[in-house]
Amino acid sequence: MALIQVEKLSKTYKKGDNKIYALRNINFDIQEGEYVSIVGKSGSGKSTLLNLLGGMDTSAEGGVYYNGKNLLTMNEKDLSYHRKFTVGMIFQSFNLIPSRTAIDNVKLPLIFSNYPVMLRETRACELLYNMGLYNRALHYPSELSGGEAQRVAIARALANKPKVILADEPTGNLDTATSAEIIGLLKMFNEKHNITIIMVTHDKETAYKVSHKTILLSDGEIIKITSNQNK
Amino acid sequence: MKISDIILLASDNLKRNIFRTALTAFGVAVGIGSLSSMISLGKGVSTNISKQMESNDIFTGLTMSSRSMDFDGYSNKTILSDDKKQTVPLSDSTIKEILSWEEVATAFPEQIKPATINLEGKSVVTNIKAIPLEMNGFYPFTKINPGSFYTSESEPCVIMSKIVLDKMGITTPYDSLIGKNIEIITRVFDLDKIDLITSKKKQLPVKNDTTILKIKGIVQTTSFSAGIFNDGIFLPPMTCSFIPSIDLRNVYDIINGEQGKYGKYNTVHIRVKEYAMLKPVKLRLEEKGFSVFSIGDKLEDFEKIFFMLDTVMAVIGSIALIISIFGIVNTLIMAIYERRKEIGIMKSLGATAGQIKMIFYFEAAIIGFGGGVFGVLCGKLISQASGKIANSQLGNFFDSNIEYFSFSWEIVFFSILFSVLVSVIASIYPANKASKIDPLNALRRE
Ligand SMILES: Nc1ncnc2c1ncn2[C@@H]1O[C@H](COP(=O)(O)OP(=O)(O)OP(=O)(O)O)[C@@H](O)[C@H]1O
Ligand SMILES: [Mg+2]
Repeated sequence: MALIQVEKLSKTYKKGDNKIYALRNINFDIQEGEYVSIVGKSGSGKSTLLNLLGGMDTSAEGGVYYNGKNLLTMNEKDLSYHRKFTVGMIFQSFNLIPSRTAIDNVKLPLIFSNYPVMLRETRACELLYNMGLYNRALHYPSELSGGEAQRVAIARALANKPKVILADEPTGNLDTATSAEIIGLLKMFNEKHNITIIMVTHDKETAYKVSHKTILLSDGEIIKITSNQNK
Repeated sequence: MKISDIILLASDNLKRNIFRTALTAFGVAVGIGSLSSMISLGKGVSTNISKQMESNDIFTGLTMSSRSMDFDGYSNKTILSDDKKQTVPLSDSTIKEILSWEEVATAFPEQIKPATINLEGKSVVTNIKAIPLEMNGFYPFTKINPGSFYTSESEPCVIMSKIVLDKMGITTPYDSLIGKNIEIITRVFDLDKIDLITSKKKQLPVKNDTTILKIKGIVQTTSFSAGIFNDGIFLPPMTCSFIPSIDLRNVYDIINGEQGKYGKYNTVHIRVKEYAMLKPVKLRLEEKGFSVFSIGDKLEDFEKIFFMLDTVMAVIGSIALIISIFGIVNTLIMAIYERRKEIGIMKSLGATAGQIKMIFYFEAAIIGFGGGVFGVLCGKLISQASGKIANSQLGNFFDSNIEYFSFSWEIVFFSILFSVLVSVIASIYPANKASKIDPLNALRRE
């Protein structure tokens, strides 16, 4: 069975009497360990889809199944469990908490997951070390470069050992070299730790290059799913 | 999420806006400070002052008289006309009967003679009062220092009161006064002079009589005492009766031509066993036609004043507390707006609604705790200061310094607990609001 199954997923926004389809009858499966890219023009519904996969949004029709359980019908408690342990999210704008140092940002999900207090420091250090940020642990987000900030965000997303990383344009605010670095990191975690990556990007070229599967969206509909089994 | 985590997160949040936090906590402090000092005042008054008064005689002392005097109309000192109130004579048998009552600890006739006393070259006009041996062990004779109470009804000695010594301006150490002789000068009829009246020389037929007695003890009373013990000097009854003096009451009787109508005694002092018995005994005596006076009744007025003070402080405290609750609500709601995105991030990281709520509860609890501690501290300082002022103003009513405020550890503990509790209750609405923040909305780029 696929890790993630999206079935007949539709989402509409109501604007007065008008119904805007952000997503229209989306169907696809994602296997554990896959690197999936979602591409498409601005406004095509990529973020909307990713948020539904992340359990950040449940107001849609159809189904988003993780191991057979539909996120759209889950209660608040199970949803936060999903966000805590099943997925890790990273964003274009990093979304680090500015008042907390890098290491404290990484520790935050460990607090919510009741990770043993004694081991948190070690865990957070290990994560930052893996991101090459060991000497940035006590920096505040404002003292970090974009690439560093995004790596802290990745470390934070990985803190509770999720199966899936959901990344919404993680390189959108970064230059080409740094972008490549971030994509490389994600690819490394995908390959080494079998972490499923679902990444929204504008950059079709990179998408085709790194992903096992690329989903092309247009106006809320899937135009094409490209598989590259060599990856 | 462990409690230590919540406290850490909450205090981090509070530190970020330390000035606002301090202001909010200060609001709580004002409320808690006035409430706690109010409670301590209430408690202090009801325990300490009551204790003080119980050890005093005003709680249990009654003065009863055969004449229907309007004691309450103190200022005009009216003697009601006899046909308005029947007079019942006060005799030994009356006293005997009263003594047989269960509620009565002791009763004795108040025998008072005006006299001039000379001591250490100083003199004062006062009253000498016959106090029976049974009064040993009753206030104010529990406060004899130095010296002691007399041991026989005819011992040739006096007990001085501090009030009289003060009046005389005697500053000699009291210890050295014990055993000293005191001159008591009374007025007696001078039969030799009666002739002189008829010979129209305007001179009263009186002369001085001097009695010398030893000082046995000094009683440390203050003016806050039932009538007879307010001042004067106290003597064993037999000793007192040996001192000759014109009994003015007899003169009054003679003039009225109705000798014995008021009985042998003017007034009788009665001690009931405890305060609760004061009223019943008073009523019983009044039923019998006696006129009865006790300062104990006036205690209610005293308590009313403190009750009013208490109420005023309670109102101030409550208003301050209500305002501080709004302060907390306001602070936390502002925090929600400021931390909207942060809360969204936390939720995206898997924080549950309950965890978000907890952070807010603890922020409020910390404010409440800080405000509570500071408030109790201020309350303590304020009550100490007011206690000192009250003592300096009312000090001469009481024998010793009174703790008007009883700032016990219980009050400290419960005030802080109450402060925390109220703060947490105030945070329920903001916490609820914060926990309902939609992470998607919060994280959307503006
Ligand atoms: N809260 C909202 N209310 C109304 N319409 C919305 C809302 N959020 C998104 N939409 C609409 O849904 C559609 C999909 O938006 P979405 O953010 O998923 O696009 P996107 O593919 O991520 O675009 P971009 O590449 O610019 O980020 C858009 O037409 C957008 O206008
Ligand atoms: Mg988007």
